[in-house]
Amino acid sequence: MAVFDALGGFKVTIGQVFQPRVTKQYPEEKRKKPPRFHGRHVLNRYEDGSEKCIGCELCAGVCPAGCIYVRGKDNPPDAPVSPGERYGYVYEINFLRCIHCDLCVEACPTEAITETKVLEFSFTSRRDAIYTKKELVVNNDGTPKRLPWEDWRVGDDEFTSGWMRATSPQGSKDFEGRTHWSGELGEGVRKPEAGQSDLKSEDASPRYMIRKVEADRISKRHGGKVR
Amino acid sequence: MSTDESQNLVTLSIDGREIKAKGGELLIEAAEKSGVFIPRFCYHNRLPQVGVCRMCLVEVKGPRGFSLQPSCYLPVSEGMEVITQSEKVKKAQDGVLEFLLINHPLDCPTCDKGGECPLQDQTLTYGPGESRFAEEKRHWEKPIAISELVFLDRERCIQCDRCTRFADVVAGDALIEFIGRGDHTEVNVFPDRPFSSYFSGNTVQICPVGALTAAPYRFKARPWDLSQVESSCMACSMGCRIMVQSSQNGLTRYLGLDSDSVNHGWLCDKGRFGFEAINSADRVTSPMIRKGDSFVETSWASALSLIGSKIVDAKASGDPSRIGIMLGSRLTNEDIYAWVKLAKGVIGTDSVDSQLGDGLRGEVIAALPRATVNEAVSAKAVLAFTGDIKEEIPVLFLRLREAIRNGRTKLVTVGTRSSSLDKLSEVSARVTPDQARLLAMEVTKDSSKFPEISAVLSKQGVGADGEGLVVLLGRENLAWDQSIVEAFALELSRSLPKAKFLITLRGSNFSGAVDLGGVPRLLPGRSSLETATPVLRQKWANLPAQGGRGAKEMFNAALRGELDLLFLVGSDPRQDYLDSELANSALDNVGFVVSVDTYLSRSSSSADLVLPAAAFAEKAGTTTNLEGRVFTVNQKVTSPGLCRPDWTIASEIALELEEDLGFGSAEDILDEIAEVSPLHWGLSWHRLTKSAALDGVVVPITATALSIRPRAMLDQISTPGIASVWNQGLPSSKTSYFDDGTIEEPGSASQPPAQASVASVEPIWPVAPVQPLGTMRLGYSRKLYGQGEHLMNSPHLSKLIVEAKCRISSKTAKELGAEMGDSLRVADKAGGESLFELEIDDSVGDGIVELIRGSFSNPGFSPVRSDEAVNYVKVERA
Repeated sequence: MAVFDALGGFKVTIGQVFQPRVTKQYPEEKRKKPPRFHGRHVLNRYEDGSEKCIGCELCAGVCPAGCIYVRGKDNPPDAPVSPGERYGYVYEINFLRCIHCDLCVEACPTEAITETKVLEFSFTSRRDAIYTKKELVVNNDGTPKRLPWEDWRVGDDEFTSGWMRATSPQGSKDFEGRTHWSGELGEGVRKPEAGQSDLKSEDASPRYMIRKVEADRISKRHGGKVR
Repeated sequence: MSTDESQNLVTLSIDGREIKAKGGELLIEAAEKSGVFIPRFCYHNRLPQVGVCRMCLVEVKGPRGFSLQPSCYLPVSEGMEVITQSEKVKKAQDGVLEFLLINHPLDCPTCDKGGECPLQDQTLTYGPGESRFAEEKRHWEKPIAISELVFLDRERCIQCDRCTRFADVVAGDALIEFIGRGDHTEVNVFPDRPFSSYFSGNTVQICPVGALTAAPYRFKARPWDLSQVESSCMACSMGCRIMVQSSQNGLTRYLGLDSDSVNHGWLCDKGRFGFEAINSADRVTSPMIRKGDSFVETSWASALSLIGSKIVDAKASGDPSRIGIMLGSRLTNEDIYAWVKLAKGVIGTDSVDSQLGDGLRGEVIAALPRATVNEAVSAKAVLAFTGDIKEEIPVLFLRLREAIRNGRTKLVTVGTRSSSLDKLSEVSARVTPDQARLLAMEVTKDSSKFPEISAVLSKQGVGADGEGLVVLLGRENLAWDQSIVEAFALELSRSLPKAKFLITLRGSNFSGAVDLGGVPRLLPGRSSLETATPVLRQKWANLPAQGGRGAKEMFNAALRGELDLLFLVGSDPRQDYLDSELANSALDNVGFVVSVDTYLSRSSSSADLVLPAAAFAEKAGTTTNLEGRVFTVNQKVTSPGLCRPDWTIASEIALELEEDLGFGSAEDILDEIAEVSPLHWGLSWHRLTKSAALDGVVVPITATALSIRPRAMLDQISTPGIASVWNQGLPSSKTSYFDDGTIEEPGSASQPPAQASVASVEPIWPVAPVQPLGTMRLGYSRKLYGQGEHLMNSPHLSKLIVEAKCRISSKTAKELGAEMGDSLRVADKAGGESLFELEIDDSVGDGIVELIRGSFSNPGFSPVRSDEAVNYVKVERA
């Protein structure tokens, strides 16, 4: 029956007609952002107000778009900007180049840079697209600076991408629930996500095994051998 | 490979592979040459091995089977069996790294070494991955400044003994040492004695962790920001090979390259940290013309047309020698050639000089048979009649010191006063000008006149014709006229025709200036005005008919009103000319002074027109070092403002005179030099960059210079910064950083020029004036950190500039009734006075007052007079 065969071909299409609409009337109507959304960066502070950034330039080094420019300097001994010897005295991100990949957040050894969920910010000149420390460093209370041209929505400043760090680097169950580096460091930190690891503890020996275990896990999930 | 070497080969097996190595070579080196890298920390190819870090343990078969032995301490032997990769070796490496990291802080993100750190890299490659050490690490005070230039962070130190070995063995300034025992061992300086070595920067370069960091580089950039280019240092005439590194168009540091013929990887601090001056905000960035007492910025076009009209005016008088040019030490060979061509080929004046009364006549330098540094350090004996080499050419001092310590040569010093060479010498003879002459004539003929010197020379087997003797010739005492030194050298060369000379003048590229006609009466290739080659006559249309004036004659001419136009190209006579009174009054009297400079120096700030010039690392070219070795100098950063390379300025001025110098790039100039100068035969940009990049080429090129050593390995642990930057973005197997291609034989069309004969140069024996009553003989010398725009514009080096000092012996002090710290009044011949704090130093001869050059409290004080052969001053207690 050719007619039914033809209709059968439209099964998926017809089925979709009765589904709820996905298209949103942006910008009047906006979607809720997922919890791991990558938006505009912030530079975090410790609870005592000192900056977390130590000017190590690892973010600039890892940035695939080359949009970060950092210069370090000796902390002034009488009024240190950050703990330790060094602080970032120039920190600039060119948001015309940034692709929000979050590699800077992964690279940061002090969890100084994280990403909020603000994505709607526009500029009228190229110069304005370069955010400096003035715009990036969070307020004294740890909340991001809300700049006049940015469209902040409820929840955009919560759970900035600190989850990167909250996830155990080894993927080991032993570390589940234990925040690395900065459990007590204030803004930009959230609890680690649960259920990140399904490993048996003997497989999870951190020594030499990480890559192998990871690869096995992926292959199991896909029901076959990856290698 | 010569037959001697092939006879000495031994066969051993590394990881089951048969290799051949030189007998006595260290296992770690032999393995590396065969392509097996053994990790190491304490081993450095230019330092004696100590075997303390235990990182290079490998299994070596002995009578009781395989056992772990340090490969940096083990010479290879016939039939040796070595395993570098086994469980046992791996466990040893794991253990060593875990042990080193027990106390090493994990502050890599803050540490300047992070990213180029041998400890970081080797931990990643060979380490266990995890530490079992949970206890608190050892703590020390975080970085302490052990000198103005170096910071020490003892927490990071892994006690590899590299810096302490360098300071003690290589530099001879054992100012940094191990203190304490066990886990309390620290490296530190002695209390109240800073690490004030001229070579302290080298310890930073060889430190395998971030324990020693350099103040000028501190937190400036990270290794992955840097890009680099190979170049040659132009701070003195040694021409050390360096890697120039920059980030964001600003120079960040220089690192020494390990060149066998020149610097062995070492640099002096003045050269290493001089880059700060190039980044200075006080650079001249646009042409400036004098309006009354101040300068007004102007355009290049109007500045150049003004110069053009001034040249035409000066030539209109019919005497082109009313135009003079003084060349400074900033200039590359190409700059010198362009300016000399402008002067001697276009304008037609021979009044070009590149020495400010502190050098030697060009004809004398050209006539003396030239020795290389390698010849000097392996000569049977070295006779030094030169200024203090440690203060003037520090890396040459390191080379000499190493050779003398290892017994390769013996040193004899001759002079008026003690210098840092005296500690190394067998004999140091104090001479007066008359004795110097006698010594030159008699030293090998009559052993009774100078018995100690003759004994050393004959014991070392120096021939009666001077075979095997190398003379280091420089300005031993700046208060003596250069003619005394010249006459000494010419006499010596006549009595010892086979002796060779290494001219140890300080100014960078003085040798290039002599080779390219940057001195009066010489043309490129050291030919005289009469013996110019046909090619040169064709290219240089307007050769001067008669010899011109040197610096001193130019100044005297200016006083007589005979100098209309003077170009100071990187030259600062008000600061640098020894007879500052003559220079100052002469420059005030010149019709029009054009200064081509990088800073507003004393001379350029009183010039009529200042043109901004590109500094070192802002232009490409070549430079010639004191032994006549030509190297490339490369561009790394862009000049600020409207600065231009000096050679383009000469070309533009020629265009104003409707002449075309005929080149559009530094490469073009080098090609023209090779064409017109018989001395530079066979030289090309390709040869300097592709084949012989590291060691340069000695001109004239001889057959021996053409055999290029195929060394292409870069020890990443010896030179961490260079390798890590070089390897960015490259496959990890890339360890060779310069071409090991063989050099092609140059065509036999032209031949190297015949050496000018010393017989053709007449020595002028100056008549030493009778010592006036109540005066003392003057000794006058320079320190490494003397005056100069380059030092004053470096924030860190400027802190080290020494004050003018006055030293006399204790006996002389007693006669004067003066004591240490007293204030002394020294009066020059014209009555100009200056006050000095007295230092008593018994290494100064009796009856001599030794002044260290610096800024004097009275600017009119000019102790050295250019018309005196020997200078005397009056000294009294203030």
